[in-house]
Amino acid sequence: SSTPLEILLFLNGWYYATYFLLEIFIFVYKGLLLPYPSANLALDLIMLFLYLGIEVTRIFFGSKGNLCQRKVPLSISLALTFPAAVMAAYYLLLQTYALRLEAILNTILLLFYAVELLLGILTLASFS
Amino acid sequence: GLVPCRFLTFTAHLVIVISIFWSRENNVRASLPLQCTQEQYENQDTLSLPRLVVALSVTLGLFAVELAGFFSGVSMFNNTQSLISVAAHCSASICLSFFVSEHWQCSAYWYIMGFCSALPAAVEILLFISVFGLKK
Repeated sequence: SSTPLEILLFLNGWYYATYFLLEIFIFVYKGLLLPYPSANLALDLIMLFLYLGIEVTRIFFGSKGNLCQRKVPLSISLALTFPAAVMAAYYLLLQTYALRLEAILNTILLLFYAVELLLGILTLASFS
Repeated sequence: GLVPCRFLTFTAHLVIVISIFWSRENNVRASLPLQCTQEQYENQDTLSLPRLVVALSVTLGLFAVELAGFFSGVSMFNNTQSLISVAAHCSASICLSFFVSEHWQCSAYWYIMGFCSALPAAVEILLFISVFGLKK
């Protein structure tokens, strides 16, 4: 079982928790300050909660798969990395109003995903 | 735990430094008229903007040093270094948010950087030397 992957997943969990709280505050701020068509705001918020679900599942499966050295949970986690990266890219680029702060936060998340994907594939290869 | 706390304060500091880097012209322009007249405006502008860029680049370099030490495991479980790092990055985040919102002078940034970025990086380098040099 790969220690760097475990460290990264652990830190990613904490980082995502802070990211989620910050995004809630940022959406409150944006909703009050910027002119939003209300459908877009509702869409962004629902996507945020979907993102929470994906991320919690991904990190849990990744951590369990890595520690118990089983291939199935780890490959589920790797497969979930792609929708998570799509969500991060959505919040980075395709959002209605993307703040500079959000751009930086999402870039750091994408960096996390890239390194985790790499390490995850290496770990999966070492299990078989 | 201490490790996620350290990582989160480190990331917060990093995020604020990058956002200052991204909007540095605003800060320089806004902090000038407090101290000088209109014809000194252009004079100072050509001097303090590159200085701020240098200061921010040095900060990013020190961040890279501390990140390398943290992720390679050298100082991840060293409680003293973790406490120093948490305190320094936390105070740096607060000071830098004031720097942006209250439009401090650019010279203040050097003091912030000296205490809050150079100190963890220096302790990190000391730990590198002690791990690779002595406890080999």
